[in-house]
Amino acid sequence: MTDPVQIVAIAVSVSLLVLVLDLVRRKKLTEEYSFVWIICALALLGLSVGRKLLDAVALALGIYYPPAVLLLVLIFFVFVASLSFSVVLSRQRQQIERLMEDVAILDAHVRDLNKSSEPTPGSTRRRTRPT
Amino acid sequence: MKAGDPRVLVLIPAFNEADSLPAVVAELRDDLPDADILVVDDGSTDATNLVVRELNVEWLRMPMQVGLGAAVRAGLRYACQTGYDIVVRVDGDGQHPAALIDRLMDPVLRGAADVSIGSRYVSEIGARLTVRRTAQYLLGRILTVLTRQQVTDPTSGLWVFGPRALQLLRNHHPSGYPEPELIMFLSRNRLTVTEVQVRMRSRLAGRSSLTPRRMGAALARLVLLLVIVPLRSSVGAKDD
Repeated sequence: MTDPVQIVAIAVSVSLLVLVLDLVRRKKLTEEYSFVWIICALALLGLSVGRKLLDAVALALGIYYPPAVLLLVLIFFVFVASLSFSVVLSRQRQQIERLMEDVAILDAHVRDLNKSSEPTPGSTRRRTRPT
Repeated sequence: MKAGDPRVLVLIPAFNEADSLPAVVAELRDDLPDADILVVDDGSTDATNLVVRELNVEWLRMPMQVGLGAAVRAGLRYACQTGYDIVVRVDGDGQHPAALIDRLMDPVLRGAADVSIGSRYVSEIGARLTVRRTAQYLLGRILTVLTRQQVTDPTSGLWVFGPRALQLLRNHHPSGYPEPELIMFLSRNRLTVTEVQVRMRSRLAGRSSLTPRRMGAALARLVLLLVIVPLRSSVGAKDD
């Protein structure tokens, strides 16, 4: 007893799962950021295939149209995923700032070193190669 | 300079200040002959870097624009690494007369405060009430309540940092337009801050990087920070 919405739901869940795994395989997505999507795809797949489970969840939540549970789950995971990306983005912003600060400082130290190893007039010390 | 005198570094964060920097540096040299000068060029797109190279000062150049807070943080870390005891932060636009700095450094040199801020408004009477001034006044009142110390000029760019402040801020100086957050952060970490009244000028040349849009963003961020910073735990000054 399958209706079109169930077939579509299964197809979408499987596609999502395959897409995520393939992205990881091709190293376009690192493992640590793939987990939230894999769990999302598995949850959707479980609810799409197990019609009884879906009905039970819908009943428990007081949702009259069970497939709406799928949307709820999807929205939840999309929300969690974007929030975690904002966290990652913020962390990377801090890392980039720190990197740029240290690059600027190192650049100054390198300049100092080059200056102090330059020959003074009359000395025979070999000049370091300018970078 | 006598042996044992604290080493003072004047830190000038600069974004596109090629026109005003030479005058600012010349004035600092006249009024503070013992201090070294460090310009932190925050990825300027004008001739700032070329100008700085000609000035015979120490300089850092951020590879790209990262914002005022990070530029100052880089300068403070550089100051710590190269053995300075006191850092004076001065704007690159010439609005801070160098002659004021001695008076501003005094509480820090005496050990009466870790940080000293040059305020335009400590005892202001009959000032024009512009929108900007009103916002600054309100912010000052809020910070005064939150930090339990007098804050009259919450966005001043003229600061003196003593040794304890340097150790703390080399890694924790706030990013972005940092001043109000910095005041809260210092209070949260129990450093003593004092305000000294100074008379500032308007900028010598060039334009402020504070556009209305950036000011709006900074204000929104600030409203959030007013709530968040007091909730953050204080950080140890020694962690790296």
